[in-house]
Amino acid sequence: MNVIYAAATGIMFALGVFQLLRRDMIKSAMGFYILFTAINLFFFAVGAFNGQVPAYSQNLPKGQPSDPMVQALILTAIVISFGSYAILLGLIAKSARRYRTADLDTLNHLKG
Amino acid sequence: MPNNPLVLGPIFFPLSAAALCVLFARYRRLQHVIGVGATILGWLSSVAILLLNWSDGMQLYRLGGWAPPYGIVLAPDMLSAIFTVMASTVVVAGALYILGCRDKCVSYPAFMPLYLCMAAGLHGAFYTGDIFTLFVFQELMIMSSVVLVAISDNRLGVEAAIKYLLISAMGSLFLLLGIGAIYASFGTLTIADIARLLETGERPLLAQTAAVMLMCAFLLKSAVFPFHFWQPDFHTAAPTPVHAVLSSVVVKVGVYGLFRLTSLLFIAEAPLVRSLLLLLGIIGIFFGSLAALRTYDAKRMLAYSTFGQVGFILLGIGWGTPLALIGAIVYAVNHAFIKSSLLMITGALASRMPNKSARLSDIAGAGHKLSVMSALYLIGGLALAGVPPLNGFISKVAIIRGGMDAQSWLILGLAVAAGLITLLYVVRTWQHVFQRAPETELVLKPVGDSLVAPLLLVGLCVLLGLYAVPVVEAATIAVNRMADPALYIHAVLGG
Repeated sequence: MNVIYAAATGIMFALGVFQLLRRDMIKSAMGFYILFTAINLFFFAVGAFNGQVPAYSQNLPKGQPSDPMVQALILTAIVISFGSYAILLGLIAKSARRYRTADLDTLNHLKG
Repeated sequence: MPNNPLVLGPIFFPLSAAALCVLFARYRRLQHVIGVGATILGWLSSVAILLLNWSDGMQLYRLGGWAPPYGIVLAPDMLSAIFTVMASTVVVAGALYILGCRDKCVSYPAFMPLYLCMAAGLHGAFYTGDIFTLFVFQELMIMSSVVLVAISDNRLGVEAAIKYLLISAMGSLFLLLGIGAIYASFGTLTIADIARLLETGERPLLAQTAAVMLMCAFLLKSAVFPFHFWQPDFHTAAPTPVHAVLSSVVVKVGVYGLFRLTSLLFIAEAPLVRSLLLLLGIIGIFFGSLAALRTYDAKRMLAYSTFGQVGFILLGIGWGTPLALIGAIVYAVNHAFIKSSLLMITGALASRMPNKSARLSDIAGAGHKLSVMSALYLIGGLALAGVPPLNGFISKVAIIRGGMDAQSWLILGLAVAAGLITLLYVVRTWQHVFQRAPETELVLKPVGDSLVAPLLLVGLCVLLGLYAVPVVEAATIAVNRMADPALYIHAVLGG
């Protein structure tokens, strides 16, 4: 199972970095989100396979409880990455309206 | 050590004031008064924490009453207390500048809440004793500063904000990966607990990977050489009070992380990290100083100069002897005050210009008749270059003493030589702006941003130059306590 997760995380990282480096800003924003999802998957793989039963429930079945910490971390990371993704999309919309382009190469007024 | 609720002050006051400011979105003046009040309260509590640290050792606050390895803990030791006092001083000065600022963006209802959130994130990042909370506070800081730059009067603000958001996402990515790797290897997120496990010499598979990830994240935060390119663009587009905070204290979050990395967490790997930091520091000093010499914009010049100054701090961390570390802390504190005052003066000058530009070609001779501003700029500039009796001289001496202690003559020589370039670009800009008569007729606006905040900061620079004992002594205590990581670990974990 760990091998599958490692491969999936790796592939998502590769996809995310490739997208992040695209010229189109919308595509790079997508890459941004894919990268954060890849990290969440990595976190999940860190703590997912040590336990068989939920950490908290009414009638706890027998077995090793899974690590609740990782899930809390992932929830926090999801909220934060979602927030930054929203801000990024908002900024892209603003700049696309102002400069009439979503191409990062034509958006080079800062050079100097 | 019992819980000390004062530790919450620098985080709680700005955050709750931000919420209040959102409630009073219609009353701009009230918002600004609340903001200044909250930052002053935060400053007072950070000073109180520093004094308590000085006399009784580390202060603790266990959030929710959970004991440290299980719960989140705020654990300001001497190092964090010094950095937080530095940060909150600049934040108070920035808030005072906002009161007298004539930029349009300052009057937006969202400005003050965002500024306060940035301050809370900044203070929290220094105080926290939990590595995941460090990430959360850092994100709070980044998100608020991105939006603050995006609403700037400068038309390039949006573009700069996109650039920074994408870059800082990479930084957060490194940090998160490092945190994940640490959790995978040690099963804990409390910094003291990680340090305790690392001290045993055990190195699970991912531990050293985590060190590299964390180091990349911190280097990116403080804009050190291979990760530097975003900094001048992003900082120059920011509104003046935000620029002052970003360029002087936000870059220090990374420096603080490097301190922790080399003196608390990965002590066995520290020699390798240190030699790398020496190399990056010397590159930063030369690159920053030379770029500042040939740039076209007064604000951008100061942003480039931050590279050089952070380079000096990295040299101190890189030498790693106690004297050098004291030098690095003193340098970090003094640089924050000098750089923020210079940026505020430049911003105040730009606010008098008809087009608000700080381009050197536009502002040539603009300060011909502004004698107060000219004097302040000269004092700040000389402090930046390290001329006695200003505080920049104290920090230069502290760093040089550290280099002599570490016997690294080549690097020391290079650093001192590059330090002279600072004098060159500061004095040249001062002459260009304040000494020459303008070539064409320049009509300045009758009123600009108020000079109260830079006046206070320049006063502080002079004061800390004439009476440097408290800073140096606090840094000495911090370094003495850092020399024994067991002290930190026992104070947090108990026992």
